[in-house]
Amino acid sequence: MAGEANKKQKREEYRKSLSKEQQKLALPKKKFYRQRAHANPFSDHSLTYPASPASMDWASYYPAFVAKNEESEYVATQPREDTLAVRKLSKAVEIADIGCGFGGLLFALAPRLPETLLVGMEIRTSVTEFVQEKIRAMRSQNVSRGEYQNVACLRANTMKFLPNFFTKSQLSKIFLCFPDPHFKTRKHKARIVSTTLNSEYAYVLKPGGIVYTITDVEDLHNWMVEHFVAHPSFERVGEEEQEKDVCVQVMRTETEEGKKVERNGGHKFVACFRRLEDPTWP
Amino acid sequence: MAHPYQCIQVCKPDPQNQEKWMILGACGPNVVSCISNGITAIWPMQNDRFKEDDPKEPPGKKLKLANPTEERPNVSQMLVSSDSQYLVTVTAEDKCVHVFHITADGHLQELTQRSMPKRPCAITLTADNSTILCADKFGDVYALPLLPSPEEAEVLPKPATEAAEATPQKTFIPAATPLTVHSGRNRKALEAQLKQATQQMKTKEPLKFKHELLLGHVSMLTDIAYATVDPQEAGRQPRNYILTADRDEHIRISRGAPQSHIIEGFCQGHQEFVSKLCLIKPGLLVSGGGDSHLFVWDWLNCQLLKRIDVKNRVLDFFKDHPQYIATLEGQEEINIAISGLWAIPGGESKESVLVACEGVPALFHFMITIGQADPDVCHVLPLVGNPLDFAMLDLALDGIIAVVSVDNVHEPGSTSSRRQGDRPSRLQLFKINSSERWESYSGMTETLQWFSCEAPGGRAAGGEATAPGQVTVEDMSAGAGEKVMRDLLYGVENLRKRAGADE
Ligand SMILES: C[S@@+](CC[C@H](N)C(=O)[O-])C[C@H]1O[C@@H](n2cnc3c(N)ncnc32)[C@H](O)[C@@H]1O
Repeated sequence: MAGEANKKQKREEYRKSLSKEQQKLALPKKKFYRQRAHANPFSDHSLTYPASPASMDWASYYPAFVAKNEESEYVATQPREDTLAVRKLSKAVEIADIGCGFGGLLFALAPRLPETLLVGMEIRTSVTEFVQEKIRAMRSQNVSRGEYQNVACLRANTMKFLPNFFTKSQLSKIFLCFPDPHFKTRKHKARIVSTTLNSEYAYVLKPGGIVYTITDVEDLHNWMVEHFVAHPSFERVGEEEQEKDVCVQVMRTETEEGKKVERNGGHKFVACFRRLEDPTWP
Repeated sequence: MAHPYQCIQVCKPDPQNQEKWMILGACGPNVVSCISNGITAIWPMQNDRFKEDDPKEPPGKKLKLANPTEERPNVSQMLVSSDSQYLVTVTAEDKCVHVFHITADGHLQELTQRSMPKRPCAITLTADNSTILCADKFGDVYALPLLPSPEEAEVLPKPATEAAEATPQKTFIPAATPLTVHSGRNRKALEAQLKQATQQMKTKEPLKFKHELLLGHVSMLTDIAYATVDPQEAGRQPRNYILTADRDEHIRISRGAPQSHIIEGFCQGHQEFVSKLCLIKPGLLVSGGGDSHLFVWDWLNCQLLKRIDVKNRVLDFFKDHPQYIATLEGQEEINIAISGLWAIPGGESKESVLVACEGVPALFHFMITIGQADPDVCHVLPLVGNPLDFAMLDLALDGIIAVVSVDNVHEPGSTSSRRQGDRPSRLQLFKINSSERWESYSGMTETLQWFSCEAPGGRAAGGEATAPGQVTVEDMSAGAGEKVMRDLLYGVENLRKRAGADE
């Protein structure tokens, strides 16, 4: 895309105009990263993703959380032929923001949950790059407090590759904030919530884990509620419990889309779903 | 010269007589059969007559019978139930699942045709043969009862006009609201939801027959397997699993119905598409696709046990058979694409699998050793043409017989060049000798003469016509017909992702 190349060039020019020190601290400018709104979740894209969670190099994303003694351990053990040798983290990623966009939720949650690793997953390349740049800058701005070391963003098509990143029951929270509505019936399979896809969310969530959803499109809200409650692995979280959850407040106010809806005086529909224990075998 | 058999199945149609065998082949749009007593048949042509004098057939059915001069959809999948009572086929262009009753005397009676919302890519049957599992191009797996209930049979097959009149369901009114679900979270609600969801997806005509959406990937499905495992614990029921493979390197392990929404795990490690799954014994799975290796899995624990190099065996084969080398020239990066995997009952400790690669005129028989250092032995079985399908017969007298369908139309080693010179038979037969090696077998050649050499392929979609006295394969220009045939015979390498086909 010509526009893409153009934006990349402008980004570079902007960077070069800054001093070394400024480069480290300056927040990226959104205007250089905007991208066509829709990416087709069915098409191949030249995505990179690990063959399995064991071969995912999380250490590069969370350098402050690399396990101690990992270095020596890692030399001693022979890498299995199917997995690349990767440095391990002292803890696993627990929160995923699916379709994180420009990352508003991540930047709001990260300082509130300093001991928890959060990851944003976004299918659009330059939007992902924006969030990655911003994480770099936020880390540099907050070196003394060590903030934002627990947040990362990566490019992924979560509708296809969620199990490549996360093991069974790894996550405690999944956020689906203002997903693309895909209004046309013909495109419903492109929706990020469906009966069959919900099985994958159930797979990566631990029992008791929560899926958070928010949207300003009432039809989509109804759709998400219908499909999660119809799925035997989920139950809807009651209103009272929902409103007590600090994550719900953050999700309402801190996502880019949430702010946009606020400005336009739109309505926001929230629903949360708890992952139930698997039933015993028949 | 006739169309090759894109699919082959064998069965023992008479439970009273285990020596009676039947070979079924899909030849373009036709299903051709041959029984050990020499009786042959073609569906639908020969069966037209058969049905005419069968008064039990519902009258509506005759409307469905294909006119031999009319273009008909090609058979892309074929499966005989483990009790040899039923044949299930899929026709590609009209996305139809057909079920036939196989009579003890080897006749095929078509019982139903069910048109699926998306093209079925792979089918299997549950262990009790009661349910067809159909995996489609859009990633969904549907369960269909093998035999529709009597009420449904009345409606099926429905005349074309009725289908056109069916009113599209415009608004999605969920069967389960948040309220109903809180009070009665149960399978019924889910079922209703699933049905609704299906109807939503396919706006025009809700499916008129019983079907249930069991699970789905967001990727084209390539293979499906059903496994029943005894948990070896007192008082525990056997557990059923559904294994699904997709174009995005995944092998998913789900529970069987009614808990198919539960994903037990993924067997991860493939770097390219997975095209074939093969259960060697209850806990052992072999998978293959666009990678150079086969993967051997302890699939109940999602553990990779070992990888087996196939690509180098293929390259060795080409080095030993320089007549095919032309096809390798100029290709820097040679890819293999696994098009067939079949478990072969082996000796004591050894598990073994027979492997076909698209466009490679040989079969590779690997003896798999688990937990031992010794390399996996590979016996190569050269063929007169590229292998298309394989089936196995167990005969009391001669033991295990391999029936291999070979491409008699394209050059061996090529998926596109037409053959020059003599055309071989469409079947090659082998038996396992006392030292567990394959040797060619001629015990059935005479009986199979018509089946292997003469049975016509009929007029398929895409312009193929091979009935005697009509246009033959030779006459077919390298046009639409050629492409249809190539897609039918060689679809596996096409699953590979192309760099840059993007954004
Ligand atoms: C409307 S935006 C919402 C962004 C953000 N969550 C917010 O609330 O501000 C939806 C985002 O989901 C992303 N997306 C859509 N399908 C996706 C997929 N399959 N995998 C990852 N991201 C996806 C889109 O690129 C887009 O950035």
